[in-house]
Amino acid sequence: MPKITIDNKEYAFEGQPKLLQFCLDHGVELPHFCYHPALSVPANCRQCLVEVGMPVRDRETGEISRNDDGEPIVRWGPKMTTSCSVDMADGMAVRTHRSSELVEQAQRDNLEFLLVNHPLDCPICDQAGHCPLQNQTYKYGPEGSRFEFRKVQKPKKVVLGPRVMLDGERCINCTRCTRFTDEVSKSHQLTIIERGVKNYPMTPPGEVFDDPYSMNVIDICPVGALTSIDFRFRARIWEMSSAPSITVTNAKGANCSYWVRDNLVLRITPRANPHINDYWLPDEDRATYARFNEQRPDGPRIRGDEGLQPADWETAYARASELLGSADGSNILFLGSPHATVEDNYLLCKLAAALGASPPAYIPHVKPGAGDGWLITDDKAPNAEGCRRLGVRPVDPALVRARLEAGEIAALYALEDDPVASGLFQAAEIQDIPVVLHTYHTTNETLAAADVALPAAMVVETVGSYVSEDGHAQRVWPAKAIRGVNRTLRMEMGVSRLDSHGTPFDRWHNAANQVQCKPSWEMLPNIARGLGLEWADASPKEIMREIAQHLGAFEGATYENMGSSGVRLTEIGTLA
Amino acid sequence: MSDFIKHPVVSLPDRAPEPVFSKEELVFTEAEKEQIEAFRAQYPTPESAVMKTFWLAQEKFGFLPPEVIRLAADTLGIPFSLAYGVATFYTQYYKAQKGKYVLDVCTCFSCQLCGGYDMLRYLEEKLDIREGETTEDGLFTIQGAECLGACGTAPMLQVTNGPYVHNLSREKLDALIDALKAGKKPPFVSVTLPQDEDDLGGNRRSDAEATEVGQTPPAAETFE
Ligand code: SF4
Ligand code: FES
Ligand code: FES
Repeated sequence: MPKITIDNKEYAFEGQPKLLQFCLDHGVELPHFCYHPALSVPANCRQCLVEVGMPVRDRETGEISRNDDGEPIVRWGPKMTTSCSVDMADGMAVRTHRSSELVEQAQRDNLEFLLVNHPLDCPICDQAGHCPLQNQTYKYGPEGSRFEFRKVQKPKKVVLGPRVMLDGERCINCTRCTRFTDEVSKSHQLTIIERGVKNYPMTPPGEVFDDPYSMNVIDICPVGALTSIDFRFRARIWEMSSAPSITVTNAKGANCSYWVRDNLVLRITPRANPHINDYWLPDEDRATYARFNEQRPDGPRIRGDEGLQPADWETAYARASELLGSADGSNILFLGSPHATVEDNYLLCKLAAALGASPPAYIPHVKPGAGDGWLITDDKAPNAEGCRRLGVRPVDPALVRARLEAGEIAALYALEDDPVASGLFQAAEIQDIPVVLHTYHTTNETLAAADVALPAAMVVETVGSYVSEDGHAQRVWPAKAIRGVNRTLRMEMGVSRLDSHGTPFDRWHNAANQVQCKPSWEMLPNIARGLGLEWADASPKEIMREIAQHLGAFEGATYENMGSSGVRLTEIGTLA
Repeated sequence: MSDFIKHPVVSLPDRAPEPVFSKEELVFTEAEKEQIEAFRAQYPTPESAVMKTFWLAQEKFGFLPPEVIRLAADTLGIPFSLAYGVATFYTQYYKAQKGKYVLDVCTCFSCQLCGGYDMLRYLEEKLDIREGETTEDGLFTIQGAECLGACGTAPMLQVTNGPYVHNLSREKLDALIDALKAGKKPPFVSVTLPQDEDDLGGNRRSDAEATEVGQTPPAAETFE
């Protein structure tokens, strides 16, 4: 296997990696700005310079010449080279700043140049705290600047498009943003204009940066030049915690991080997953964060003489069990949900089976033509594939209507969806039958007919798994706390927010804005027990293990296997 | 440039400018299209032909407002943004209407030491306009330019991306302006090196329209 020596340490490599990427993969940190693994390599920032040499070979024999100690003699390049653009070769020797003063000096000088016209407004900059320019300047930069000229003033607060704002002065012209629009999203909406100290990225005249993937440039901009119009000045990076999860705006299962402060989700950013979304996230997926914060219910409600009234959890469970118990099992309509996790739908299936009802159906949320064949799908719910694999089928509205008219629906149990808003029923039609509803929002139109309303935890508050349109099963971690105590959630939270939100005793713990809701996998067993069934509480991890064991369509889908990037489930042709 | 050093402010371009040319005017003739096609065939990718296409467009339209840049991009089948970036990068592509003769007076290091600013200011006085402005009759635009690669014959200027005028003096400028007013563009002049005069009989180019003998440049009166 070919070998390379970096700072006198030997590494074996395969294929023909670029030097910078290889170093980063092997824990040899090198400062860099313009290089991005998913984009072309322009080598324009010059921050990643290293010394590169090749061993001297004997002209005749082709053997590597060695000195008296048997060490290969290296002929070093006349100048330093940008490591991002160097193809590695067998025998290559590299000196980074760890072993070369020249490289150290070059990094320092380069940063001094990059900062000549930089406004250094870090105290008010959104990028501060996670800014490659700031971090690398602290680590590799000079003590100060020797430039005494006036700094160039460039356009600031430029609205490039509906979601992205430019601060021209902060830009270091790495061209990551223009390469993203040229190579990845292919909208070609950005270009670098002008030259020398006057240049910065811009849309050409008459064009607006409204690319459906425009916000990715904010993530890859190595400085604070591109910021989110929505998120600007809303929170400092160190005030928030982030948890690994997936987006639920559509059925792609794109990996993301939910950023939370005081139990409010403030933004959604991509999390790299080579199997699904690489480094990217559509703008559409990021725009939905407010639904995790707004119009959330405050505890369970049960219908009394004066409409829905607050109740405690035990009373609400008991009432739900009582209503279900009073109906003939086979006449209860169970509705699963492509918004709910596999675990929650599975428990609902079990409950339906135990009561002798037909298996739950789900309400599809497909908008034909809305998808783009990449990260935006027609399906606007995250888990329809998970439902199908559980045997939960799309609901047949005609059949439901016929049964309703024939008086064959004696009760309705709806999981995390809104049958009235979806048009399956009108509120008046189900007014007279018992309705148990798991709901995310107080705007749920089915509440008008609900007899027991159970506030359900959303993706940011629960543990569970989802199966993407492509059959990729992934689990999520809780990003924010809910009111009340759940041991499983608390333990998972300790893992997902290890950085700053480990336990309720740390200084970040905060009871503000906690929603009074519960995960459906906690509610369903309580209701089942009320119906005389012997259900033990189980964590989603245990439930998923059971599913993976018993259902072929979920073979291998355990939490251990899913890890943080998920597993691809086998194709299943016709589902049972 | 000196102004920019004192007031280094880069302004935002007009992001939705009114077009200068009408739809009817914004077309290439069949012959021009053929020429552009020929440019395109010279390179592996159409993007590479953008510079020659701009040149053609600038000769046709006089300058390159956004709609002409878009026309060039569309004709080549390349993104407008890329074409716009290229057009704004090069000062030789005029993004705004200029005078018939654009006088690019070099004020970079060598020329400045040899009187680049003396020449620039003299022209300003003579034509009664400031650097960057155009005379009212639309005949002349004066610009300060960075090194045009003819430092040996400093101070010098270039006329509308074309011929260089070397070894400038006030008299030479008077003569140049008179000639241009009479519609006479200066010829392409090949300047010899003094040492070649002695040893190589001038070593003159045979294709040059005119030749001049190299001389020791003057020292500047003013610097900025
Ligand atoms: S705006 Fe950011 S990503 Fe774009 S060129 Fe400037 S520094 Fe790079
Ligand atoms: S990362 Fe290598 S030159 Fe920018
Ligand atoms: S400095 Fe004027 S031509 Fe070089």
